[in-house]
Amino acid sequence: MKIAGLAALLAIGGVAQVDAAEGEAAVRRIGADQYRNIIHDVFGASIELGGYFSPELRINGLGAVGAAKITVAASDMEQYDAMARIIAGQVTDEKHRGQMIPCRPAAPNAPDDACASRFLAKVGRLLYRRPLTALELGAHVAAAHAAAATMGDFYQGVSLSLAALLSSPQFLFREAIAEPDPAGGARLNAYSKASQLSFFLWNAGPDLPLLDAAARGELATAKGLVRQVERMMASPRLEAGMRAFFTDNFGFEGGAVTKDTVLFPKFSASVAASAEEQTLKTIVDLLLTQKGDYRDIFTTKKTYLTQELAAIYQVPLAGEAPNGAPDTWQPFEFEANDPRAGILTQVAFTAFHSPAGRGSPTLRGKALREIILCQTVPAPPGDVKFNLINDTSNPLYKTARKRLTAHRSNPVCGGCHKIVDPIGLALEDFDGGGEYRTRENGEAIDTSGELDGVAFSDAAGLAKAVHDNPAAPACAVNRLASYALGRAPSASDKPWVTMLETGFAASGYRFIDLMRTIALSDALYRVTPPKAASAAGG
Amino acid sequence: MPFVSKPTFRSLAVLAGVVLACGAHAAAAESRTYVRSWFGQAMYSEENDCPGGVNPPWSEQRLKDLADLGYSGAEIEQMVKDELAGGNNRGRINQIISMRGRVNGEPVNPYSFPATVVDPKLHAGGGRYAYGFNLDGRGAATKNGFEDPETHDKGVNNELARALGCMREFRGTLTSSPLYWDWTWGQLKDNEPAWLITIAGDDLGKDGDVTVTIDRALEHLKANTDGSARRDATYRVDPDPRSHQVYRGQLKNGVVNVAGPGIRMLQDPLVAMEFRMQNVRMRLKLKDDRTLETMIGGYQPWADLYYSFAGGGAGNESASTGDMPGIFYLFRKFADADPDETGQNASISATYYLQAIPAFVVPVAAPKMAKGQ
Repeated sequence: MKIAGLAALLAIGGVAQVDAAEGEAAVRRIGADQYRNIIHDVFGASIELGGYFSPELRINGLGAVGAAKITVAASDMEQYDAMARIIAGQVTDEKHRGQMIPCRPAAPNAPDDACASRFLAKVGRLLYRRPLTALELGAHVAAAHAAAATMGDFYQGVSLSLAALLSSPQFLFREAIAEPDPAGGARLNAYSKASQLSFFLWNAGPDLPLLDAAARGELATAKGLVRQVERMMASPRLEAGMRAFFTDNFGFEGGAVTKDTVLFPKFSASVAASAEEQTLKTIVDLLLTQKGDYRDIFTTKKTYLTQELAAIYQVPLAGEAPNGAPDTWQPFEFEANDPRAGILTQVAFTAFHSPAGRGSPTLRGKALREIILCQTVPAPPGDVKFNLINDTSNPLYKTARKRLTAHRSNPVCGGCHKIVDPIGLALEDFDGGGEYRTRENGEAIDTSGELDGVAFSDAAGLAKAVHDNPAAPACAVNRLASYALGRAPSASDKPWVTMLETGFAASGYRFIDLMRTIALSDALYRVTPPKAASAAGG
Repeated sequence: MPFVSKPTFRSLAVLAGVVLACGAHAAAAESRTYVRSWFGQAMYSEENDCPGGVNPPWSEQRLKDLADLGYSGAEIEQMVKDELAGGNNRGRINQIISMRGRVNGEPVNPYSFPATVVDPKLHAGGGRYAYGFNLDGRGAATKNGFEDPETHDKGVNNELARALGCMREFRGTLTSSPLYWDWTWGQLKDNEPAWLITIAGDDLGKDGDVTVTIDRALEHLKANTDGSARRDATYRVDPDPRSHQVYRGQLKNGVVNVAGPGIRMLQDPLVAMEFRMQNVRMRLKLKDDRTLETMIGGYQPWADLYYSFAGGGAGNESASTGDMPGIFYLFRKFADADPDETGQNASISATYYLQAIPAFVVPVAAPKMAKGQ
């Protein structure tokens, strides 16, 4: 993790740095959704952010891991600064200050250190996810005083300090502060533990009860940790945490996928965004609401659709909203004999893992191997020729299967294609826009294939093969653990991961139980001690 | 899944509600449902089909109208110069033209009162071909009958095509649609309820009796981001009986032929209140790509049509219809049915072209948890 001037900024709080080497706890930059969630939690949903966030860095397929490696460019800092000022300006404006600031200054046109201190301590605890140190609070109050005196306005002074809090690395990064573990080694201290837990389960900073529990030392006890975990698992906010994981795991980017509008006229930006939401709603309903088996996300017939999506799926779904109003979400269940089953046949998989102008058995097979089964597929050689594959109107090779068979005749290509194409070809009944078809260029599509020795004849067969493949739940464990830790599990984590896999199976692959187990694991909070103590001010 | 379905609640309800002279139709085993994706007059313009020549563009025709009002050539020339030069007199032509009707010498709105304008004697069409049907039953013996360019039926009654066939704004073909109808469709499709068509029969892959139901939807036509109509969207049937019509037809070689007493579809009151025809005929072609291509012919009250043009006033006249009182006179001259007490025919034979794409059609009270068909 590299930030220009970070060491100097951290010197104010005396925060020890932990090197982000593999296997060690990492200091992670908060993501866009986490930033929004924190601001809305602290200041309310009416506060607008302004500005934009730079793209994530994905490592090992997860932005949660990349967050530990990502740098903050000058342009990023400009945006953070702009957002901080916009947010601070709203919090202290006439409309909001009465609710947000717990005291009134003695005079609104002059500094009031007592009131400023009370406000900054209160919000600072929530923004930094720990109490401000005396030094930090003193510095921010002093800055507010100076600004208020210069501008003749208490609220402008406080706004400036609030903006500074929001621009600071203590807010923008999740601190990972270590302390000796009485059982040996080192562990995250109480507040860092609270953050680790809260970002995992709720994708947001710790709330007041969790911070208070940290302050009382309860998180260091098994009973105290269980109490907080159970409270958070029972909260509706758990959905946000689950959504955040699957959004990251599947690489959803808020509807950024585009398609050729001539070839796929039904596909649009709103379809792309809705497709992501459909998959997330399907998963949340099954895994959280129904407390179901993780593997059933590949075979379930139940989902949610909007009228726009229903047209792509070619099923009837009437809305009741007035003309011109946004589509509404409705539960939908495909018939037993419908070829669609599970998330692999949903638009967010079939269309997202295809180029703009066609479907792609190879990309779909690769995505399934890498995302669902955690298997590595080598990148193609730099000089591979895609002419034949892209020639979708080739009169000799009318279907993708035939074009790929011809492509694979090159032994350099065959080695990788044989591990992905037999999977992706089962999904060839879904074109590049996710719409069902049985023919390509007038020729019947053959959807037979195999996955790790299990043969199938269509997408439903593939779904069952994935459902029954032990690599799928093992991959879910590995991914969720990586997501929680902010790094890939190391060799020393192997016993823990094995325990998680065993427990996951024993629970009937209940995903919420897996989340609970991870949240209660010491491994989530254990850190490798730093090699040498870092002096404050680094 | 594609929408070719087993009997739907809607198709059965429709059939149950039909009152037919010939008695109730048996429950259908198969139905296909569509939504109208294009609608306009079916024109077959070709070279040399205007014996008197194609009528001049509006920019020229209005100058002739000025002459009919009594303005001299020099006066008209000056008005044109003033218009081109800008300045205070630039709108004089439009002021005069937009009030060119005369009653006792006083200016009158020519669009609302077209008979107060001197007939500009616009040219009418005289070609051999026009889409349509033998409405009057006389076949080839019909005076001035056309030949349908597709079916080659003779004695086709389509006096609307004759009346408008030499107006530039109404010339076109099925593949290059006339300006006016393109413009109208563009205005209407997003702002008026969609039209739904259901074809039901025992087996739509074979010749036999079928039922054709036309309804209005509660929804407007759903579109893709490029403006084209979205296939496989779902529409709820408007329960208003005024837009519910059921016809018996015959399916033969993939084409359904229908004859019925009439059609009446509520539209958009700002543009065209309703579409109605008597003695309606339809030819619906079920295509391999799941779409429908339809010709609808019949006798249409020409006043309905005229006032749907006239409602747009001077703006419509200059942008999309051409000389409106001229059109009024053409309609009056070529109207060929429903004489009033003076002998003036109130209806004109016409043929419209409708394209439709596959859609799901559900009754209004359909359950929220829909099942795939």
